[in-house]
Amino acid sequence: MGRVTVENLVKRFREKVAVDDVSFEVNDGEFLVLVGPSGCGKTTTLRLLAGLEAATEGEIRFGERVVNRVRPRDRNVAMVFQDYAIFPHMTVYDNVAYGLRSRRTPRALTHRRVMEATRKFRIEHLLWRKPRQLSGGERQRVALSRAMVRDAELYLYDEPLSNLDAQLRHQAREDVLALHEEKRRPSLYVTHDQSEAMALGDRIAVMRDGRLEQIGTGHELYERPRNLFVAFFIGTPSMNLFDVELRLEGERLVASSGAFRLRLPDEMRPVLAGHVGKRLRLGIRPEDLHVPRMAPFPVNQENTLRGVVNVIEPTSAGSTTYLSTLEAEPRDFVATFKVRMPSTYLDKEVPLAVNARNVHLFDPETELSLLHGA
Amino acid sequence: MARVDVEDVVKSYDTADAVTITGRPLRPPALNHVTLSIEDGETVCVVGPSGCGKSTLLKVVAGLETPDSGRVLYDGEDVTGVRPQERGVGMVFQDYALYPSMRGKSNLAYYFQVHRRSDEEAKRRTREVAEIMGVGFDSLLGRIPTSLSGGEQQRVAIGRCIVRDPSLFLMDEPISNLDAKLRESTRVEIKKLLRRFGITTLYVTHDQQEAVFMGDRIAVMRDGRIVQVGTFDELYYDPANLYVARFIGSPPMTILPARVEARRVTVEGQGWDLPDDVADMLPSGEVRVGVRPEGWALDSADGVRIPLRHVERIPTERASFLYGELAGASVAIAAPLDYPETESVQATPDWGRACYFSAEGEDTLRAPGALELF
Repeated sequence: MGRVTVENLVKRFREKVAVDDVSFEVNDGEFLVLVGPSGCGKTTTLRLLAGLEAATEGEIRFGERVVNRVRPRDRNVAMVFQDYAIFPHMTVYDNVAYGLRSRRTPRALTHRRVMEATRKFRIEHLLWRKPRQLSGGERQRVALSRAMVRDAELYLYDEPLSNLDAQLRHQAREDVLALHEEKRRPSLYVTHDQSEAMALGDRIAVMRDGRLEQIGTGHELYERPRNLFVAFFIGTPSMNLFDVELRLEGERLVASSGAFRLRLPDEMRPVLAGHVGKRLRLGIRPEDLHVPRMAPFPVNQENTLRGVVNVIEPTSAGSTTYLSTLEAEPRDFVATFKVRMPSTYLDKEVPLAVNARNVHLFDPETELSLLHGA
Repeated sequence: MARVDVEDVVKSYDTADAVTITGRPLRPPALNHVTLSIEDGETVCVVGPSGCGKSTLLKVVAGLETPDSGRVLYDGEDVTGVRPQERGVGMVFQDYALYPSMRGKSNLAYYFQVHRRSDEEAKRRTREVAEIMGVGFDSLLGRIPTSLSGGEQQRVAIGRCIVRDPSLFLMDEPISNLDAKLRESTRVEIKKLLRRFGITTLYVTHDQQEAVFMGDRIAVMRDGRIVQVGTFDELYYDPANLYVARFIGSPPMTILPARVEARRVTVEGQGWDLPDDVADMLPSGEVRVGVRPEGWALDSADGVRIPLRHVERIPTERASFLYGELAGASVAIAAPLDYPETESVQATPDWGRACYFSAEGEDTLRAPGALELF
């Protein structure tokens, strides 16, 4: 029992390295989300933990026990898949009971657990149906019930919500968390959707090209991304990126581009001193752009960015506005507001105030963050 | 350019197999007296759960399906009997449908070859489109589809539509095959193209957020009927019924059972005075009250205690959502990001901004209407 540890895990398929020297721990009772674009190696990592693939190098431990050579069925892992992986010829009851029966659990106990789990996930009235008579949401709850009846050492989820309609997804997220609350065992959840990762994960691990880019709470990844990839990947809409030159004008540290000159806070000077005169990537989160009149800080020429409004998207909290800079080659950027931007501003030029304290700066070569690198 | 009118269209599919498999009565028509107008240059999004008839509607407008009754008009001219290839329609599907053996360029030029136009014209149009499609499109044209990412393939597919100078664009879930991050940038791309060309567009999706983003107006469908057509504000603040109210908005609206009597409203034994303009509209007796996540006052003196199941913190939205239960209904409340972790919360619905529905059926008794800021 206890935590699950992955150490220097490598998986090669012929020449291709799918998982490249990945190490992390899932603590007992922790819900860890593995997130990244398609092809980043997240599903392969999950399959390695399940034992469905054999590791090329590295070690996987459940507690103190090294499980690299343990067969999948002996690892005592419960899985929930995207396509639910329920048997089409079996009733809901038989599907849920399957894992227990195959482990020779006494009949009375099996029955009790199946009834408890199906009640919890609101499918107790569907026990004698076959999967094809169920909706997508109901099938998904069969898969969750099947994980619920087990006492596994590790719970694995492979994009279990991506086949569901948007409105079903909120309830389904709660169901996943209900399962986790009940079991309080290490859980690893794989998704390509960063907002799902944010909503579910105690911690989030971001993967790219087989490598683990950063691991931390949603808040940490959002506020202190270590590199450009994590900064861009976490957050919807994505962080705005601009090519700038860093200048020292008297006492003032300035990030300058064709579109704007942004004065940076004096506190950043010690960290950035070595980069004066260099070209950098400047990152501004959409919510750090404000309507000047409503900005929670003083606004002047040195923290104003001007743009032309292309698209206004209403949101329940306000609006998301898509703009482009006023340059010969305009760049697109995005701002989110707590107020509804009226459509009369479409195609108009507007000034936006930048909260300079929250900006990010990256080395264009290494892509590492200069402010949150360490 | 064209205005499109769909007039009282009915379309049924052969129901024989549905009967034999499930023994249910005849399936209702896929389109059940559907009427919809799309203004010249407008984008209308049709949204609804799978099986609601939205794709059938698109096929009828395209001419791929013939309605049992009713008419389809382009610019006032009846095209119900006109073959699809003669309608001047550009279609983009979920699965791109590029010719896999051809480079991007040939995909664009193919139409001109089939229609025996000159190479000259094909080249000129392709060049024009590449210019309009913007940065990087040119480089996509030299590659074969399998070497392109999903988002790039979809750009080529849209480019292929635009070269034909269509009078009408029809899009069926064009971005739902892309992963979350790519979806974000591609939808902005498509929206900008639609605005730039001002092409009349019918856009089908199951995702209400995508519909809100893409559509000038949104048509919500259910069971072969259009329930409501309107702008986001109209659907969000003036839903025609409970179904629309629940379908638009994320997390969905909370629906509480309540009782109205003597200008007061009671939920689970606790009573509040109703604002005058609300009380005037409501009959006495049982009702259902719909409260948006942002429509609660937290920690209010006259609040009702709501036990919480969990708190979802979304740094990217600078908000958290509190999920709990009240009067047997699932509750979602928006709160500040740093709202403290608690077991329960005291909150009052903003009765003036809530929606009221009849206890039986789904009719709206009173909706708040759009927010007035100034």
